[in-house]
Amino acid sequence: MKKKIALLLSALVLAGVILFCLQALLVPKYMVGKHKEGALISEYYDNAGNNDVIFIGDCEVYENFSPITMWEKYGITSYIRGSAQQLIWQSYYLMEETFQYETPKVMVFNVLSMKYDTPKATGDQSQREAYNRMTLDGMRWSKSKWDSIYASMTEEEKEKEAMYSYLLPLLRYHDRWSQLTAEDFKYWFKRDTVSDNGYLMQTGVKPLEDEHVERPLVNYDFGENSWYYLDKMTELCKSKGVQLVLIKAPALSPVWWPQWDAQIEEYAAENDLLYINMLEYQEEIGIDWSTDTYDTGLHLNVYGAEKAADWFGKVLQEQCGVPDRREDTQISALWAEKAEVYHNRKKEMEQNKE
Amino acid sequence: MKKIIAMLLAMAMLLCFAACETPNIPDTPDNTEPVQDSFTFTYKGTKIALHAPAADVVAALGEPKTYSESTSCAFEGLDKSYGYGSFYLETYPIGDKDYVYGWYFVDDMVENDEGICIGSSKADVEAAYGAENYNGTNAFEVTKGSGKLTIILENDVVSSVQYVIITE
Repeated sequence: MKKKIALLLSALVLAGVILFCLQALLVPKYMVGKHKEGALISEYYDNAGNNDVIFIGDCEVYENFSPITMWEKYGITSYIRGSAQQLIWQSYYLMEETFQYETPKVMVFNVLSMKYDTPKATGDQSQREAYNRMTLDGMRWSKSKWDSIYASMTEEEKEKEAMYSYLLPLLRYHDRWSQLTAEDFKYWFKRDTVSDNGYLMQTGVKPLEDEHVERPLVNYDFGENSWYYLDKMTELCKSKGVQLVLIKAPALSPVWWPQWDAQIEEYAAENDLLYINMLEYQEEIGIDWSTDTYDTGLHLNVYGAEKAADWFGKVLQEQCGVPDRREDTQISALWAEKAEVYHNRKKEMEQNKE
Repeated sequence: MKKIIAMLLAMAMLLCFAACETPNIPDTPDNTEPVQDSFTFTYKGTKIALHAPAADVVAALGEPKTYSESTSCAFEGLDKSYGYGSFYLETYPIGDKDYVYGWYFVDDMVENDEGICIGSSKADVEAAYGAENYNGTNAFEVTKGSGKLTIILENDVVSSVQYVIITE
């Protein structure tokens, strides 16, 4: 009998190992090409702790601010918890999860995602699901991740019990076996680091030529669900004694409508929060749209991100009292290493014209 | 016991490779040709239809006055916007081809097939599309096939005429 139980257990363990290995092989790696942002969320855990500033938000944070510049100019330690089309409920749960690892002095949230009120409002199902994966699959398991998955699914997806595919990504990606590339085998069990403290570098230049024009909206009011999660962020930060700073990053498209700006301004004033629309400070920041963007003004390239970080670092220090850590030898040594990686990456990308 | 072990391993393999409905991931775009079943608009003899292949339309319309493009945060392809002075044409990609996503008027020099333009009165719009399509606040919203027409009013005068495909 004992032998039979031992054999059964061995079979279960073996099946588990096979499933684990298959899952590791079949899930997207996001290490090369245009989808590196899919790797950002999981990189945080090796850098968690001792960050005085945490940025949370969509591509407008991970493309537009260089933490290394803020360190070099002001001695500010920061990390960007950004991901592609990160939605406000995902931002909230990432913020909640961050507090399991550290309590920064300032949380910075980019408010563009207020425009998406519900999961259904964020695009067609396949695109929405792929974006969700880039934020959710990289999170370590926790109640925050569970809640974030649940909040990210439409009612139809909940009915289809899509939750299981987040619990076991193999269920989602099992049919990738026919699309496997050398990348999948190279990064089967190990990943490179694609970001510099959450900042995804771009060195290309594609100037702004024509103003981005967008169709007017029928209704500019942010939705109830967006306000609900912004309220939760405000309450969470207040309960932790952390200053929440709202920003609109300096990016020209999607258009940040004046009606949206007014609503955030009013909210910030009511809740005693600092709100900075950096679009209003483009000149002061020194952004040159002929050289500082790699995609005609949608995002900044590294040259623009360094300018934005330089300007915003000063704000963080002067208006939020974020300390200069350059006197701390241990922190300085760590950030010197990070800076070396950053500058080498920049040099290499410039040489390769990436 | 060997049968049990074999069954467990077989189940694991089946779980991995079973064919079931899965949505697209970024490197597997849907290449299905879209169906044109909705609104059209004619500008200087060029007929524009939602979901129509964009290359033909753009070639027929001639050099745009402005052009901009945007990548989605993570996906292949570009959403493109062509400005022709009085209206903007927007496209979306499927695979390596672009299709008409929509258009919208920006001045009163163009009108739609029902004669509605920026500056038309609420009464004109109501006569063209019926009161049942008024949202009760500031817009008429009309659907046809997979397309949607939105006419926004300010002080009961048309301020925007927009056509777009319905994506969900």
